[in-house]
Amino acid sequence: MLLYILRRLVLLVPVLLGLTLLLFIVARILPGDPVGLAAGPNATPELIEQMRRELGMGLPLPVQYWNYLTGLVSGDWGMSIFTRRPVFADIMEYLPATVELVFAALFIAVSIGIPLGLLTAVNRNGVLDYATRTAALGGIAMPRFFLGILLQMMFAAWLDILPLSGRFPLIESPPDHVTGLYTIDALIAGDWLAFRIALSHLALPAIAMALSPLATIMRMMRASTIEVLQQDYVMTERALGLSNRLILFKYVLKNAMTSTLTVIGLYVSWLLGGTVLVETVFDWPGLGLYATQAILTQDFMPVIGVTLVIAVIYLITMLAVDLLYGVFNPKVRHA
Amino acid sequence: MSRAEQTPPLVVPRRTQSARLENWSRAFYRFRQSWLSVIGLGIVVALIAAALLAPWIVPYPEHVVGGTNTAAKFQPPSASAWFGTNALGQDMFSLVLVGSRVSLFSGLAVVFIAVAVGTMVGAVAGYFGGWVDEVLMRLTDLLLTIPSLILAMAVAAALGTGVWNMIIAISITWWPAYARLVRGEVIVKKEEQFVVAAHALGASWMRILGRHILPNIVSPIVVKVSLDTGFAILTVASLGFVGIGVKPPTPEWGTLLSEARRYMPDYWWTAVAPGSAIFLAVLAFNLLGDGLRDVLDPRARR
Amino acid sequence: MALLDIKNLNLAMTSYEGETHILHGIDLTIERGEIWGMVGETGSGKSLTGLSVSRLIPSPPGRYLAGSIEFRGKDLLRVTDKEMRVLRGRHIGMIFQDPTTNLNPAFRIGTQLVDVALHAGRADPSVLGLAAGASRGDLRRAAQRVAVEMLEKVGISKAATRINDYPHQFSGGMRQRVLIAMAMIGKPDLLIADEPTTALDVSVQAQILRLIHDLVEERNIGVLLITHNLGVVAQICSHVAVMYRGRILEAGPVGDVLKRPGHSYTRALLNAVPTAYTKRGELKGLNGLMPETAA
Repeated sequence: MLLYILRRLVLLVPVLLGLTLLLFIVARILPGDPVGLAAGPNATPELIEQMRRELGMGLPLPVQYWNYLTGLVSGDWGMSIFTRRPVFADIMEYLPATVELVFAALFIAVSIGIPLGLLTAVNRNGVLDYATRTAALGGIAMPRFFLGILLQMMFAAWLDILPLSGRFPLIESPPDHVTGLYTIDALIAGDWLAFRIALSHLALPAIAMALSPLATIMRMMRASTIEVLQQDYVMTERALGLSNRLILFKYVLKNAMTSTLTVIGLYVSWLLGGTVLVETVFDWPGLGLYATQAILTQDFMPVIGVTLVIAVIYLITMLAVDLLYGVFNPKVRHA
Repeated sequence: MSRAEQTPPLVVPRRTQSARLENWSRAFYRFRQSWLSVIGLGIVVALIAAALLAPWIVPYPEHVVGGTNTAAKFQPPSASAWFGTNALGQDMFSLVLVGSRVSLFSGLAVVFIAVAVGTMVGAVAGYFGGWVDEVLMRLTDLLLTIPSLILAMAVAAALGTGVWNMIIAISITWWPAYARLVRGEVIVKKEEQFVVAAHALGASWMRILGRHILPNIVSPIVVKVSLDTGFAILTVASLGFVGIGVKPPTPEWGTLLSEARRYMPDYWWTAVAPGSAIFLAVLAFNLLGDGLRDVLDPRARR
Repeated sequence: MALLDIKNLNLAMTSYEGETHILHGIDLTIERGEIWGMVGETGSGKSLTGLSVSRLIPSPPGRYLAGSIEFRGKDLLRVTDKEMRVLRGRHIGMIFQDPTTNLNPAFRIGTQLVDVALHAGRADPSVLGLAAGASRGDLRRAAQRVAVEMLEKVGISKAATRINDYPHQFSGGMRQRVLIAMAMIGKPDLLIADEPTTALDVSVQAQILRLIHDLVEERNIGVLLITHNLGVVAQICSHVAVMYRGRILEAGPVGDVLKRPGHSYTRALLNAVPTAYTKRGELKGLNGLMPETAA
């Protein structure tokens, strides 16, 4: 088992190498003049030339790539022209906020989508089934950024029960840094007030991100549960007197999870990419907002850095999904 | 007395429909069974008609090209301005109506380019296999690991503003999915008897791919296209929303929504109008796609 | 009081074509120690009769028009769902045809066995060798012990370790043994076996039949064995009922019916079985319609 994980991790290295090469080439062949943009409209050609040299942009491309690659390993991910700080430091600062948001959204989607899919599959063509299926069609089509705006309008402006945007009030101090996830840190510190504040800020953006995956997970879960319920072994379990609850929540659930798991894994990447939209709506200080600002100023080192981090998280998630797949489907494990 | 009356005309039972037509009418019958798909088709047709006719039916054409009327700013929805007016006193209905042109056109163009490129790459990779397949598929896999929205944003920003730059940027992130799909289908079809027969008759690879394999894998591609178009429109609007893509005064749904954000929540209609338009378009294409999938891919039903 | 007494059972099923009358007045009585073979062609209603005894036909589409199924004096068509669930597994065991699809692939066989044993034990702790009012922990430990014992009994070697294996790690015949263990672990009074050997190799078939036969002898229970194989009936059954189009044409001790068939359909059925003396090209089939209408 451990050997398998190690082998899979080693196999990630060439993928990451290819990824950096691809991103580097894309960033270099694209038109655009980031240095000129950063230097401002009044910069002299000499100043721009000097900045260029400082950033190592005058060197031949292979040399630039090699420098970049060796830098990556040693934690030097280049400088952001826009924030004038090392990209690595920026990413480490913004990553926890994004991770917190994505996990919260995924938690909402999975913890509601799976039971709902299970229930609607059992009560097929009932009122709940029709209602949730119709709602799911809408949920999938709803743009995350529009939903975010509607939620802000509803809960922040009109009802005034949740904050409009941001992650933590500026005048308060966030809980002591342990994981960087404010809700978790507040719990570790036992600070209930901070937890409530963090949660109230997290709620709206997380819901805005969760709706579409929730709808898809529910649909997937419903379809696979219906398929499992028609299997012979369910009939045997029923014939031998096991209770409907035990059959559904133990025996059927585990079998139906296998196909849903793949969808959940794919959504991790979708959620991470979607942070650029939701973090913009809610001024959530995460990687998405950072990447958006970098993109708008054509500041490529942060963009490459953020993309790499997200790709790594995605690849690790897919590995985790494969491992979990073995838990739910023992045949795969022993193969 | 004419000859026709002397000899009764020979009665040949005419076939009322060709077999192909019959297939289509049966497929259409199945499609009609699901009223949600019919609604989807109806909205799609209405949206496309509105987009095509927009220049002639727009109530305030001057607002669409940048004209303002600050005296009438932030009017709530009324009979003269159905969706209200924005900060510049422009009619939101006119802006949303004309905005549909950019959004729908770009969405369709993205999918079209993605299908063209993806099919070519996937067909070549699947047909030839070996190192060609390896190289093309490794590239495809790499692109699939990159968050597509961020890549599209970065490329679009670097290319500069403009509808075509945005379309190209999004297409770069969309073709790999089609390449994967087509490659898989081609590999399956390559082993079928009719392809082996064409080979034996000495057909060139171009002919085998173009005449024998690709026509047989149209269904899964059409299904994916119809399910994807809504999300392509959504991606176009997303780029507009973060401020990349078309620049004002050209109206575009995402850009309109992003501008409206500044005047929330008091002037909610400026956000609700373009937002609902995006929602409606995505929903309609999704419903249509679901219906088409049921017709063309009966295995995936339920 | 008979163990199982089916009287005038009439069942109709609804499909998109409308309601079809499927079972036309089934009468059947099974006593302890009897092994009843139920033979007939595909679609004759044998399986539906078996499922009816465990009340596993959902309604709709199924609907009982008339009749009763008395199990130890209680009409199963009239007991509550809760009572029925207690009867299943504890008093009525079932085995189905295909051992590859009737075990849940995602769970260790031990988990599945223990859950059935726990269900039976909760209804009646004596099944697990416990006195009434045993604690949850006692029940669970006993269920685990009984599961291993039962696996040994059905002929699985190294049962104590194999209990932790998954279904796909067993062969087809072994899986059917596990399913028999699951059906018998609650010490049922009646066993319904629906084509238990059809999906197995001929050599394995005989072993499985012997196993069922021995368990029945040892525990003195009644069995309803549904099959289309007259050879199986001749091997282990004490009684046989011949079904045709939702009716029982003929029923009685296996020697009487098979040696002196009273109905022409039974005769045709017997003639259709190839023997060592059947000449090439003489294989007989049934034409699907009843040879004679009179019974």
